[in-house]
Amino acid sequence: MSRYPQVLFQNRKLKRINTLEEYCQSGGYQALADVLREYTPQGVCAAVQEAGLRGRGGAGFPAAKKWESVPADGAFPRFLVANSDEMEPGTFKDRVLIHAEPHTIIEGIAIAAYTIQASKAFIFVRPNYEGSAAILEREIKRAEEAGYLGRRILGSDFSLEIIVHLSGGRYICGEGTALLNALMGKRPNPIKPPPYPTVKGLWDRPTVVNNIETLANVPHIIRNGPDWFKGLSLVEKSPGTKLFCVSGKVKSPGCFELPMGTPLREIIEEHAGGLLEGSEFKACLPGGASTRFLIPEQLDVRMDFDSMGEIGHRMGTGAIIVFDQKTCLVGATLNLIQFFARESCGWCTPCREGLPYLRDLLWRIENGEGKEEYIPTIRSMCKDMWNSFCALAPGAASPVESLLTYFEDEVHEHIVQRKCPFQ
Amino acid sequence: MPKLTIDDLEIEVPPGTKVIDAAEQLGIMIPRFCYLKELGPAGACRMCAVKFLQGPFKGVQMSCMVDAQDGMVVSTNDPEAVAFRKQVIEWLMLNHPHDCPVCDEGGQCLLQDETVSGGHGLRRYLGRKRTYRDQYLGPFIAHEMNRCIHCYRCSRFYQEYAGYRDLGPLQIADRVYFGRFKDGPLESPFSGNLVDICPTGVYTDKTARFRVRHWDLERAPSLCIHCSLGCHTVANARYREVVRIEGRSSGKVNAGFLCDRGRFGFGYAAHPERPRNAKIAAQNVPMSAAVREAGRRLLEIRESSGAEAIAVLGSGRSCLETLGMVQHLSRVGKWTAPDFFENPQMERKVKAIVSQLDARLAVSLRDVEKADCILAIGVDPVNEAPMLALAMRQAFRKDAKVVVVDPRPIFLPMRFEHLAVSSARIETLLQVLLQVLRQTDLAAPPAPLPQPIQLSEGLLSEVAFDSSVQAQFHALVETLVGSRNPVILCGSGVVGESVSSLAADCAEVLQNAKGKGGIFYVLPSANAFGAALLASSPEHSFLDTVEGIENGTIQALVVVESDPLRHFPDGPRLQAALTKLQFLLVLDYLPSETVRRADIFLPTCTLFEVGGSFINQQGRLQAAEKVHAVGTPIHQATDEAMRSARGEEGGGKHPPRMYDLGIPGGEPKAAWEVLDALMEALVPVAEGTWREDPWEVLKQEIPLLASWNGRGYPADGLHVVPEKRPGAAVALPLETEAHTSPSEASLQLLLVDWTFGTEELSQYAAVMRQVEGEPFLCMHPQDAERCGLAHGDALEVRLEEGSIRASLKVRENMACGVMVLPRHGRIQWQELRNLSGRVPFECIQKISTDTQVIEDLR
Amino acid sequence: MLPAEIKETLLQRIAHAIHPREQAIDVMTIMQSHYGYMSDEAMEEAGGLLDMTPLELEELATFYNFIYRRPVGRYVLHICDSTVCWMNGHESLLQHLCTLLQVEMGGTSPDGLFTLLPVCCLGYCDHSPAMIINQVIYGDLTREKIDSVIHKLREQAHAS
Ligand SMILES: Cc1cc2nc3c(=O)[nH]c(=O)nc-3n(C[C@H](O)[C@H](O)[C@H](O)COP(=O)(O)O)c2cc1C
Ligand code: SF4
Ligand code: SF4
Ligand code: FES
Repeated sequence: MSRYPQVLFQNRKLKRINTLEEYCQSGGYQALADVLREYTPQGVCAAVQEAGLRGRGGAGFPAAKKWESVPADGAFPRFLVANSDEMEPGTFKDRVLIHAEPHTIIEGIAIAAYTIQASKAFIFVRPNYEGSAAILEREIKRAEEAGYLGRRILGSDFSLEIIVHLSGGRYICGEGTALLNALMGKRPNPIKPPPYPTVKGLWDRPTVVNNIETLANVPHIIRNGPDWFKGLSLVEKSPGTKLFCVSGKVKSPGCFELPMGTPLREIIEEHAGGLLEGSEFKACLPGGASTRFLIPEQLDVRMDFDSMGEIGHRMGTGAIIVFDQKTCLVGATLNLIQFFARESCGWCTPCREGLPYLRDLLWRIENGEGKEEYIPTIRSMCKDMWNSFCALAPGAASPVESLLTYFEDEVHEHIVQRKCPFQ
Repeated sequence: MPKLTIDDLEIEVPPGTKVIDAAEQLGIMIPRFCYLKELGPAGACRMCAVKFLQGPFKGVQMSCMVDAQDGMVVSTNDPEAVAFRKQVIEWLMLNHPHDCPVCDEGGQCLLQDETVSGGHGLRRYLGRKRTYRDQYLGPFIAHEMNRCIHCYRCSRFYQEYAGYRDLGPLQIADRVYFGRFKDGPLESPFSGNLVDICPTGVYTDKTARFRVRHWDLERAPSLCIHCSLGCHTVANARYREVVRIEGRSSGKVNAGFLCDRGRFGFGYAAHPERPRNAKIAAQNVPMSAAVREAGRRLLEIRESSGAEAIAVLGSGRSCLETLGMVQHLSRVGKWTAPDFFENPQMERKVKAIVSQLDARLAVSLRDVEKADCILAIGVDPVNEAPMLALAMRQAFRKDAKVVVVDPRPIFLPMRFEHLAVSSARIETLLQVLLQVLRQTDLAAPPAPLPQPIQLSEGLLSEVAFDSSVQAQFHALVETLVGSRNPVILCGSGVVGESVSSLAADCAEVLQNAKGKGGIFYVLPSANAFGAALLASSPEHSFLDTVEGIENGTIQALVVVESDPLRHFPDGPRLQAALTKLQFLLVLDYLPSETVRRADIFLPTCTLFEVGGSFINQQGRLQAAEKVHAVGTPIHQATDEAMRSARGEEGGGKHPPRMYDLGIPGGEPKAAWEVLDALMEALVPVAEGTWREDPWEVLKQEIPLLASWNGRGYPADGLHVVPEKRPGAAVALPLETEAHTSPSEASLQLLLVDWTFGTEELSQYAAVMRQVEGEPFLCMHPQDAERCGLAHGDALEVRLEEGSIRASLKVRENMACGVMVLPRHGRIQWQELRNLSGRVPFECIQKISTDTQVIEDLR
Repeated sequence: MLPAEIKETLLQRIAHAIHPREQAIDVMTIMQSHYGYMSDEAMEEAGGLLDMTPLELEELATFYNFIYRRPVGRYVLHICDSTVCWMNGHESLLQHLCTLLQVEMGGTSPDGLFTLLPVCCLGYCDHSPAMIINQVIYGDLTREKIDSVIHKLREQAHAS
């Protein structure tokens, strides 16, 4: 058991979900009842604002600030979307969360929906999480029967319907605006604001998109107060706990709920059991496939939005992929870029054409056809990815760019030896 | 208004202007692929990157995505932006084939231009190029997907702008494909615009395939004369023949797009059978001889039977110069007053319409795009004036409500409310509407209307529409009352004569209250407006002429660029009359039946050969320039020479080497020039000081043009309507007679236009055969049932002497009691000699039992 | 033609949606589980239910990963080829699968039972290498585990 307080995972069981009854016994849905009885939407916003809850979907945007950007006179009906697309390689926290405590997600959705006065919420789930979707659908039904969802919840004026939407399956669907297009049955190309989805989202109505982990935190904030929430974290500016996923060359890969600001070294060495026998830490992607490689010298960084930002990295989704000294990072990067090139929505040129170009150059380097002149080309192309339409392409460039920054020697070695030195 | 600095130049632009457009106004053309003003920004290609130095944005940004704001300082040639754009070009060229020499876009390819100007000259990428399978998209558009650079212009135009649903982006990532679900002709009658907007050679004009290079073309601004809208075009010619038409942007008419009839319908001009020689009794003669002989014959008739024994018929497909000369010739010669409409009923309607228009009420096509409520009365936009549908769709995209009142099975590429009532009821409905509008406080904030609407004289009950129409009518009134910029569209084809004035009255009431909106009429031909302005005598019509021929008072008929045998509704009667004439003189450029019957024929020029002025349905006088020299197209001449020299199979055609076949001095001339020559043969020269300049004639004939010299046209043409229309029409008393009661065993016959297959000029273009489909007629399911007919039945409609055959389309979305028959070029609808317009049930027969279901054509 | 009850389910879903289009993926997924894959005819049928043209539906079908527009085997194996699985031996497992099933990537086994397709990260990196067969996830793959899974599926197929 962890030595840190468990919030989202407080009732995590080995083989089954925490049931509605169990959740209620541990104080579940109390926050919703309180909110509906005592809080104005502004009140909820203020509490969450004070708690400093930041989005867990990757960008760390303050949740209350997003909710507030729904115009007071915005049209109805309004929508809330809980994003559980989770297609970023290395990330599986949403899945674990759904399998552990679905009702905290549902309660979080209900409170957030109340806050923005949405009458319909969607949970957007990737297709191969069909099991998770089934759990959600079943538990939503139970919550409805128990009066926590549906018409006039708990006797209040507030009604909410939650719909589980199974995606067709593409990484880009997780991007907030592309997701909206996907939900509406259009091609999931991203949409450039303005107008922001909070003003004109689904069917041109105000719509808030939040990661489900973000939402799952909300009932606990209401229940225990902002100060408690802040106290959970080891750092000031990123309150709360965070679900970290560790995978790759570690002894016990898995998803761990730890305070924001837990040092990366601790997460890997302690919670994930350290590296496999015979493996040494070479590098990791700290926040999913779209973050930069991080090297042993940086292992003591704290895992929170700002500490990572200070050393020029991103915490992303907190999905840590660990590579050991036996793994070729050119090969790994080639694999990553292959992923991004395949998942590009095909809307804008840098991503659609540039990623395959990068893939081609990396493939040549990995397969002994590399040339020194590729290195500056790759560098400048990575920089140009930042001028693409959405954040997918810059994310895709991150591992490539950091490969050249931290592991240029390994790249050179491929070129000089005319083969992959790891083979 | 935001003021910003671009490349050290300051400019002030209206709020909402994109930086890319602000730069263009300064003459700085920022490279682009996906951006097209009409389609709005997409941000897909990333080619328009510029660097923002000061202001709310910093660094490299897409100039098509950013609204100009005060204090912005923008550099288009900052090294960082230039380097990025060069990279974008390299990316786009990774997969683009390097075979410009066999690509029809070559020479007018945006990708070529940007590749060169962006400085991308050396290929670094070693990967293979992506390839796709092309699709068959019909006779107009060739498809070569390998050339695609994924700017999404095509799909955005096709689906969002035009509202058609059979072409779009498929697949994902670098495999994105633009095409159809399966091979097959594009359903949109606006498909040709893909050729213009695709920045590479994916979609090219199939009809012009491999015939020309851009730099070899003779190009000139021209007009489309395939309907009354007068869209602006660029005509492209080579070797004395138009090979391609492109759209041209106009501030008042079309936003740069065209319909496929206007784009691909030019084949009449170089029709292989186009009569290019003057003829006397079907024998080729020099032009001068024919003119002299024609003059002699006319003088003879004047001598023997008086000047009034000579009549002239012109038409709305002639330019204004020609019509003016017809008028003048006839006046100076003291002939019977000329007619400019083959169809007498149509003449009355057009004249009524022209008299309704004034500068305040007449809105332009571009104004229609801005309406927030459109009421279309008796007009079928896609079929009668296709680009009108596109303009309506732009209004619809900005949330305008669209309501159509029309008996026909109307299709529009947008959602709309359709009141499918018979033609006679349209009139009643408008009278009620006018009354309701007059007694409603239109300036007040919209409030729910009483249901049913209270009418001062209890009109609605008298009108007795069925309840669904009443509900629709109620909703329509509410929409109009709540609108800010209501535009009324009004047709001339299927509606009665009083409809145009009622519609104008409604528009006026609305405009008085709202300060905006107006009326937009659709006329039957490109210069119908000009023809109506000239047609001096309101009483006289071609029917009088026909009667005159029949009773012998008219002995000579001069037909100028007109085909009465095609347009006059009673074919057999006209046929008979023509045989009674002593002298039929025809001037034309079409190989028409009327031409074949001429005693003397004088060839005239097409618009492309001499240019000309036309007044569109809004009253806008616009000019087309001459595009190419007069004469037989060189490839035709060569073909012919080859054939006669070595038999059919002989030799190649390239390079073309025969340059002429005609009799020297025998080329066609502009019709007004021919008339001028004829005038010379008839009237002593001294009397005519006007001869050199047709505009002097026009100034005399059209008071509105008195101060106009016919030169130096403003870009948007000249709006020739009076300041204020003569006066609102008096509301007619409501028709109380019972309308088509279901028991009546006949249908009202509506002869209508269709996008392809009915319009006179495009009918002569060979490619239209492939899209016009088979002749058909439409009936309401109730009527079909009562006649025992089913969708797809092959029918024969037999009336008196004539009959036509067509297959039946049963359509729910049309009025009961009418039969809609498009005037398909392959049926002799004139033989129905249907002036009364009713078809008894027993005249409709099924001719075969095996139902052949016909493909729908739009 | 769809069995009446499936059609009824679909129509209900569509009726419940804010706009029919919203149900496009669900409708195709459900029809696909009935037909095995989305043939051209099935696409047209689905378009009819959804008030979409076949082209509009095709825009979506070809965008996504889990709509099959060509015939597939009874079992569709999507084997994850993203980073963690790659690191944990995806390539040799793939080789093994290809030999075992006598297919190439993208192909269907000669007995028509198995289609092998790539897929990106399945969200089971903690149980990598992973694959998904007809919506069921198989993690912590080894050659032995693959052998037994395939064996079981084969038996299951022959039993029915
Ligand atoms: C390519 C791409 C994929 C994304 N995928 C996801 C995802 O699977 N789940 C998620 O919650 N956010 C994802 N995001 C982030 C979302 O755009 C959005 O920021 C987030 O859902 C907002 O929720 P939050 O404010 O609660 O973090 C993705 C972003 C990008 C650019
Ligand atoms: S960067 Fe461009 S192509 Fe890539 S996913 Fe975003 S919008 Fe689509
Ligand atoms: S086909 Fe032409 S217009 Fe369409 S996306 Fe490709 S390049 Fe652009
Ligand atoms: S023109 Fe601006 S991104 Fe294409």
